[in-house]
Amino acid sequence: MIIRGYIRENGSVGIRNHVLVLPVDDISNTAALNVARIIKGVTAIPHPYGRLQFGRDLDLFFHLLIGTGSNPNVASVIVIGIEENWTNKVADGIARTGKPVEAFSIEGYGDLKTVERAARVAKEFVQEASEKQRTEVDISSLVVSIKCGESDTTSGLASNPATGVVVDRLVDLGVTVLFGETSELTGAEDIVASRIVNDELRRKFMKIYEEYISVIMSQGVDLLGSQPTQGNIKGGLSTIEEKALGNVQKLGRRPINCVLDWLDSLPKERKSGILCFVNTPSAAAEALTTFAAKGSVLHLFTTGQGNVIGNPIMPVIKITANPKTARSMSEHIDVDISDLLDSKISLEEAAERIFSYMLRVINGRLTAAEVLQHEEFSPVRLHITS
Amino acid sequence: MARGLIHSKEDDVCIATTDIKAGEEVMCVYLENPSNHVIVRSLQDIPLGHKIALRDLKRGDKVLKYGRVIGEVIRDIRKGEHVHIHNIRTLRWKIE
Repeated sequence: MIIRGYIRENGSVGIRNHVLVLPVDDISNTAALNVARIIKGVTAIPHPYGRLQFGRDLDLFFHLLIGTGSNPNVASVIVIGIEENWTNKVADGIARTGKPVEAFSIEGYGDLKTVERAARVAKEFVQEASEKQRTEVDISSLVVSIKCGESDTTSGLASNPATGVVVDRLVDLGVTVLFGETSELTGAEDIVASRIVNDELRRKFMKIYEEYISVIMSQGVDLLGSQPTQGNIKGGLSTIEEKALGNVQKLGRRPINCVLDWLDSLPKERKSGILCFVNTPSAAAEALTTFAAKGSVLHLFTTGQGNVIGNPIMPVIKITANPKTARSMSEHIDVDISDLLDSKISLEEAAERIFSYMLRVINGRLTAAEVLQHEEFSPVRLHITS
Repeated sequence: MARGLIHSKEDDVCIATTDIKAGEEVMCVYLENPSNHVIVRSLQDIPLGHKIALRDLKRGDKVLKYGRVIGEVIRDIRKGEHVHIHNIRTLRWKIE
């Protein structure tokens, strides 16, 4: 199947053409935001981290920042950090994709000179990016991710199974599909494990899952209200098992042939048609930030009660089967399949509705979250700072 | 008539797909076989998306949905009653 995308220097394919201003640390947010204020068409993605992190937590932080800049939806990147060592480390990591990257550090210059230096380059980057054209390319070049949020029982009944049909179709077309939400597999982790293609990957998945759950359980607290969330409970979900069994409905029926831990990257040379578990938090912004950093260029997000999440570089398509949410939060919903709940349409018709909308977004249509400027960027933290 | 859906034939619960009033009859259709249904009289108001018991359940019973255990009963439940966090709880993230 042919789509129209942006082919990047390293051959990866994006469906958006962002010029990014990426702060390396919290104290560089102001300079990054100021560049975005004076240069049209750049996206600054502030975040509260990047200082005094260490160990695996720091490794993950670099992995997520470099992954974000390397995403094929990004044409070029301005990296701004307080000092030059970590700033260059992030910029060099992104530059390995071959895309234009420039690094600026604030110490020795101050904010105003840094903003001026960065803005001059950002202006050139935006003008260069504006000439990049979409070209015809096979859909199999794309990486797509899936996650549900503020789920309710309508997710497990309708929006997730319909998304599962779309996932099967994408995998059959050769697309790489990422899923995660490690903690929210609890009660259905055996279903995921049973679909993994070999023992080595299955053991890897179970180790990742058990490590994640052991951290949660080590707190020794009642999780009701956190997991399931208050929104889940309002929507009728009573236990994590019930939530997880609804969650896995969106995984379709194809074998799971890839398992990625925090620091793992997708293989550059991929065989066709991958369904990949990625270790992620279940909180929407952290999960989507992780998927985008692994290379996802498009996200299918099913919701019951109405999660409004977006992402600064990856379009998020919001799908609901809850008729009340479709009515009361219509500006957030891209695909309303609530008539599946009344059996007015079939599962295949609902899936077709999602699929055809997805193709429009791939080819350029902006999603509700993009237009509403939902640009949540939340790098995952593993532990405290030093 | 109010409506609901049942994931699997072994399930103990039906999910309301309309808001249900106490005393209303609910037609619960099986997702796996939509030509089959059961009718249950609701004992309480049950909002869209919430679960209604298809049979009496005793404290300690396991609750089935998707043909799988989703938790255990912590207070006896009568057929037609609202099933939620007040009368079932997780078996996986249990704090004693």
